[in-house]
Formats: sequence, C-alpha cells, structure tokens
Amino acid sequence: MRYSFFKGCFIPIRQPHIEKLAHKILPELGVELDTVTGFTCCPEPMGVSLPHKFTGTVISARNLAIAEEKDNDIITLCNGCTYTLKQVNLQLKQDTELRDKVNEVLAETDHQFKGTIKVRHFAKVLSEDIGLEIIRGKVEKPLKGLKVASHTGCHILSPPEVMEFDDPLNPVRLDGMIKALGAEPLDYSYKTQCCGWTLSNFGDRASANRLLGDKLRGMYDAGADSVNVICPQCLAQLDTGQMMAGRALKLDFKLPALFYVQYLALAMGYSLEEVGYGSHRVKDSGFEAKIGGILA
Amino acid sequence: MVLNIPYSVKTPHGIKEAAEICLKCGVCCVIEGYSCPAQYDAQFKPTQTYVYDCLGHEEPSGNKNIWQCVSCHKCEEMCPYEVSPVDFIEAMKEQALQGGHAPQSIIGELMQVITTGYAFPITPNTTRQRERLGLEPVKLNHELGIIAEKTGLLELLNSLKEAQD
Ligand code: SF4
Ligand code: SF4
Repeated sequence: MRYSFFKGCFIPIRQPHIEKLAHKILPELGVELDTVTGFTCCPEPMGVSLPHKFTGTVISARNLAIAEEKDNDIITLCNGCTYTLKQVNLQLKQDTELRDKVNEVLAETDHQFKGTIKVRHFAKVLSEDIGLEIIRGKVEKPLKGLKVASHTGCHILSPPEVMEFDDPLNPVRLDGMIKALGAEPLDYSYKTQCCGWTLSNFGDRASANRLLGDKLRGMYDAGADSVNVICPQCLAQLDTGQMMAGRALKLDFKLPALFYVQYLALAMGYSLEEVGYGSHRVKDSGFEAKIGGILA
Repeated sequence: MVLNIPYSVKTPHGIKEAAEICLKCGVCCVIEGYSCPAQYDAQFKPTQTYVYDCLGHEEPSGNKNIWQCVSCHKCEEMCPYEVSPVDFIEAMKEQALQGGHAPQSIIGELMQVITTGYAFPITPNTTRQRERLGLEPVKLNHELGIIAEKTGLLELLNSLKEAQD
C-alpha cells in the first residue's frame, strides 16, 4: 500500500530519528512511503488553526490538495497533524460553499482541493490496513516480559466521530498493537489523561509537571517498564518533560518513552542503538537489561 | 448560580450565535484522571474550576487562561448536560487574536508558520542531526505567506505588531 508521507514539523525538526526509522521499518510491513515535496505544517492546531481558523483551513487544504495531486492517501506520524487534516478534509468534503471560498484562495498557489483522499494515522494504518496478523508475522524477537503503558493522546481520540480511532474514555487500540509484539500491555490510572504538552508550553510548567507526575506514577504503580506513544509532542513530553518533572517532583523511578515504531523495530530484531534510543533523555538500566535479554 | 453564556462564533458563513448553559456541577474539572488537564493550575479549585473561570470571565477573550486549553474535548465528553466549554474557548481564541489579546507566543508561532512553512524553528541542531542521520535538510516554504496575505492574517499580524511598537 502506498501513502504520501506527511512528516509534519515536529518530527523532522526535533525528532528526525523517528522519521528515519519510519522510512526504514514501515516498508518492511508493506507500507510504502512516498516522499512529497511541498507539504508544510498541518498547521499546528493550538497556535495556528484555532486563532485564525480560515487561514488554518486553507493551509490544511493546500496540504490535502498536494496529496490529491499524487493520488495517494496521507499517512501521518502525529496526533496533531491527523486531528487538523482529518477535520478539514471532512469539513471541506461536506461544505461546498466553504470549499469554494478556500479554493479561491488556493488558486493563488496553483492548488485546488477536490476531496479525493483520506488522512490516516500510522497506528491506524498498521492496525487496520496492514493488520495485527502481519505485524505478528514480522516479529523476530517477541518482547516477552516487557510491560508497556500506552499513552494514546488527546487529539487522536476526540472528537471520536471525526477521529474514528478509539473510545476516548477507554482506549485499547494501542494495547492490542503492543500485545502483537509479544509485550504485556497495561491498564493504569490516568490512562486517558493528557500528556501536558500544551499546558507546559502555553500554561505554567509547574502544573504540567504535576499532571505528568500523576500520570507517570499511575504507569509505574501498574508495573510499567516503559511507555508507548504515537505522537511526537507526547514523546517530547514523556521524555524531556519526564526528565524535568522527575527533577521537580523528585520522582524515584524512570520510564523510558518510545514511539510505537521503535517497539516494532526492536521486536523485528533492531538494537536499541539502531532505533535511536540514544537520542532520548530518559534512560533506565532495568529497561535496557530487559531489552538486552530479549534481543540476546 | 448557573452560567448562561451567549456568544458569537465567526464561521466561514458569517457570525453564528451560540450559547453554553453550564449548571456548575464541576464534573468536567474535578474527576481526577479523566477531566480537564488545565485544572492542574494551582489557581483553580474544585469550587472555582478552570471551566468556570473561562465561561464566567467578564471579558472572556481577554482572559489569558483560555490559552491553557488544549482542545482535548474532555470537558465535552464528561459533561452530563451536553455543555461544550471547548467550543466556547475556541471561539474566544479567535476573538482574542482579532482583539489584540493573544499572547506573544501565539503571534510568534503564526508568523513562523507563514514565513517558513513550519511551526517550530529550524535550529543548527536540527541541521546537524539530520545530516548525521543522512536525511535531507528541511525545505522552507513561502506559499503560506501568499495564503496569509489573501486571508487577511498577514495584515492583522502586521497591525498587531504596529500597535505594540
Ligand atoms: S478542551 Fe480545554 S477546557 Fe475542555 S477539558 Fe480540554 S483543556 Fe479543559
Ligand atoms: S460538566 Fe458541564 S455542567 Fe458541569 S460544570 Fe462542566 S460544563 Fe458545567
């Protein structure tokens, strides 16, 4: 299956190791990624599409139109990109009057929105278009004994009728994907709570730390070795944010946070170094020893 | 006291009148683990929640606390009375920018996106890391400036900047 690869901003700018790994791993599962020139920021919902909705809509429409020109669905690696693009795609498919207004502006950049493609988050592509059976078949080193707390994130869950990803009050899709790799998924307190990224950037750091502290404590108390995420901001918050919250709150444990693609690569036999664990801030020797044992 | 908040939302088809009628039951902010993340700010209490602060503010679009809302929709999902505080807060953000109340970080991010195509600055560290991984450099894009000019955003940002200087 071929997709136009929508990398967004945060991954190419701050977490290029995830981009690199996705390029390497996803095709091994039958997900072909087309590199598309011309994509921009989705745009980022909090800072851009909400304060000026119409501009946000046109920028999203431009990205969608570029993917339409390639005739492939979009695949994203980010909850925020999926949230923005899916909403605009749906809105413009339904509202022809708005579409005309948007296309009038877009004409200045030689693009037109037609409404011919879909926007897919990679976790949905893997779990539905490819399927857990295929994923299980690719596992060389089952992550046996590894206990993983998955954090789904807010913007891929809500509004559920648009996002069509999981139940916002009881998300389980990622647990199934973790189980497919041989690891043990965990239920934990604060599972549906936000990672606190926006709060730490637009609110105050101390509240974001307390929020994250409660969430991490919930994961730790449930027995987690590590955290699983599917969004770059959630990764930054659970990694760099965890380091800062850990210091501020004097947490006596560490839970390395990895992107699902990194777990997938580990289960396929890649080393911690090859999946880019070295560039993460939160590292834990207990976690490393478990992975060492699994890969041995 | 019930909060009965009529407000207008700017839509592509003109101004739409809406209202949120909050019964102040508190559910959207006090159920730990499930409700509003912005409630974590120490200025909010179980009896004076984040949502009451946003809905009940005398000049809601000038309330800087609206920017703590992450649009997670938890308030809407938890509310037993089908109130949608998030819709109100989002409408206030749009009004805030128009009225010159948006924080510098928001104005900076808008400028950043329309001039470079990206919401986050490309730093020397970005370039170094990408080089090390053998990835192409991030390409800047200037088409968004054309869009922002057409939609009026550029003019708005310039006038906000002027008013500030
Ligand atoms: S959408 Fe905003 S107000 Fe509603 S729960 Fe989330 S952060 Fe709180
Ligand atoms: S749950 Fe609904 S009615 Fe209760 S305080 Fe929140 S918005 Fe108001």
